[in-house]
Amino acid sequence: MTSADVLQFVASGLQNGAIYALVALGFTLVFASTGIINFAQGEFYMLGGMLVAAGVAAGVPLGVSVAGAVVITSAVGCLIERAVLRPVRSAGPLALIIITIGCSMLLKSWIRHLFGPDERAVPPFSGSEPVALAGALIQPQVLWVLGITVVAAAGLTVLYRWTRLGLAMRACSISHDAARIVGIDTARVVMLSFGLSGALGALAGAVVAPITQTAYDVGARMGLKGFAAAVLGGLGDPVGAIVGGLVLGLLESGAVAVVSGTYKDAVALVVLLLVLVLRPQGIIGRHLGEKL
Amino acid sequence: MRGKPVRALAALTAIVLASAGLAGCGAKQEAGGGGETKKEPYRIGVVVSLTGTYAGLGTPEKQAMEMERDRINAEGGVNGHPIELIFEDDATDPAKAAAAATKLIDQDGVIAIIGATGTAQTMAMRSEIQRAGVPQVSMAGGSVITDQFDPLVFQTPWPNRVVVPFVLKAIAKKGYTKIALISDTGGFGKDGHDIIVKEAPAAGITIVADETFNPGDTDVSSQLTKIRAANPDAVLMWNAGKEAALVAKGMKQLGMKQPLFGGHGNARKEFIEGAGDAAEGFVFAAGKILIPEAYGTGTEAYKVATDFIESFNAKYGKAPDTFAGHAHDALMIVVDALRRVEGEVTPAKLRDAIEQTKGLVGVGGTFTFSSTDHNGLSESDIVLYRVENGAWVLDER
Repeated sequence: MTSADVLQFVASGLQNGAIYALVALGFTLVFASTGIINFAQGEFYMLGGMLVAAGVAAGVPLGVSVAGAVVITSAVGCLIERAVLRPVRSAGPLALIIITIGCSMLLKSWIRHLFGPDERAVPPFSGSEPVALAGALIQPQVLWVLGITVVAAAGLTVLYRWTRLGLAMRACSISHDAARIVGIDTARVVMLSFGLSGALGALAGAVVAPITQTAYDVGARMGLKGFAAAVLGGLGDPVGAIVGGLVLGLLESGAVAVVSGTYKDAVALVVLLLVLVLRPQGIIGRHLGEKL
Repeated sequence: MRGKPVRALAALTAIVLASAGLAGCGAKQEAGGGGETKKEPYRIGVVVSLTGTYAGLGTPEKQAMEMERDRINAEGGVNGHPIELIFEDDATDPAKAAAAATKLIDQDGVIAIIGATGTAQTMAMRSEIQRAGVPQVSMAGGSVITDQFDPLVFQTPWPNRVVVPFVLKAIAKKGYTKIALISDTGGFGKDGHDIIVKEAPAAGITIVADETFNPGDTDVSSQLTKIRAANPDAVLMWNAGKEAALVAKGMKQLGMKQPLFGGHGNARKEFIEGAGDAAEGFVFAAGKILIPEAYGTGTEAYKVATDFIESFNAKYGKAPDTFAGHAHDALMIVVDALRRVEGEVTPAKLRDAIEQTKGLVGVGGTFTFSSTDHNGLSESDIVLYRVENGAWVLDER
């Protein structure tokens, strides 16, 4: 195995890892402000890709399609919180989590009904000629994936650390009651976190679609990977989501390089289990023990 | 509550999600006959993948059968009986396919089952088929379906054992002797993989790299990096899903100039759309329906195929693919046999009649079954195509 090959494995791992990280960020956002896992997160990813594909097919410029997909999915996220989850929020986290699974099935069936079962192609944002990066060859679209992940991570960090909304979100994650006492509109914060996780998921789906194509059924698998990445890094921690995603991507790529593509998913899951046993709060997670 | 219950909860929900995701939504559609015929309808069960990985294959299959059913019933049915098709979605899940077979047999009392779309799903139905003694006509391409021979089971597509040697010979004829193999771990890909490994020496071909990916994977560049390191003359991929475009694009990304070959699982327009210019030069084997001139104009097969293509186009506004063709053939085989059954139709009599099918011209080829051959197709029913300027052309050898 030459050094160029090794670099190629790393590049491939980072590419997939960045995607997992974006989806994991969505899980983390919702978990941090509500304490529940939103299993419709994978469908946000699917919606992003499919709406862009539909927009492009209808002749809408690519940039507008991406923006539209992000806005619509974000609205869907808000809607799920406002119309489906909020009315039954006293039912407890398990019921809410199961409801999000229901929402994911609904979204999936709805998109399949609207757009059919076939996979759809989306043109790359900027050219398809491979570029060399430190010895590894990558599609230009991968630069978009990595760039958007970095921007999203930076944006979230700024939001969490230095804005009133971020402060409110962190307050909610510590205690809803206390947050309400100091005057935070917790219901609004929760809805916004769903909207934001929808936007993140859609952005991930849109930026990946030119590489992988997209279809109505890509959500469940990506949801599982993103969830695994979020748990791996530490649920509820944005930095953890990024680290977890990248580690998972690199693990998978390494598994293919050393073992075989057949066992890629298995190797990643075994490592996930090991991490959970040895370090239950995730690689860099801190808050989980205090949660709930 | 401290951390542990939260994680237990998360693990539980992950499991629920996984099973829910795999299961999809079991859309069950019942479809009655068209014409107002007096006699009892012949009830035929159909198991297709309308959701899941093979949804893109199962949907045109269902469309083709609905179209043919309406045509047959409009023409007065079979021996005066209308045809009733009862569709079940297996969600590309073998367990659901088996459950669908049970339902069709026990609740609907069907006389035959057409399906499934996929190889693993077809095999999963076998114990139910054997229990009830109902004939089954599968639309899946895995060799195992007719290699693990069962008197009740028939198959309409060209199985891998027919297509693989054909493709290997074509590769050797073009002068490539060292190939890399990349296949998926699904039923069709695994079946093809095993036959390729077995048949390659006979064609004078050495396999220098053997990589796999899982259906649903979104990246295969790690596998291709290993293939690139093995420096093959050509790359052969064997799968039946959307990952094919990833292979073609990945090769372009890694600067691999080797020609890419494939099988009948890649005969889909979505592959060309997904891979874009990376699909250029891709050579694959498939049935003649993609370019009907391959049948030879003036032959009966040409007429059957062009009729089918025209009515499909008129009804659905798109050309049928090979999978729609397999479904057309499956229904036609059952209907042809029904016409030949004397007296009251029972599953056993229908099975015997299907086995006696002789010289039946379909879209996928001309079917002649025997007590040892339940597929009846040969290499003469497939041709080699090449992708050129985003479309299929015949690859002259």
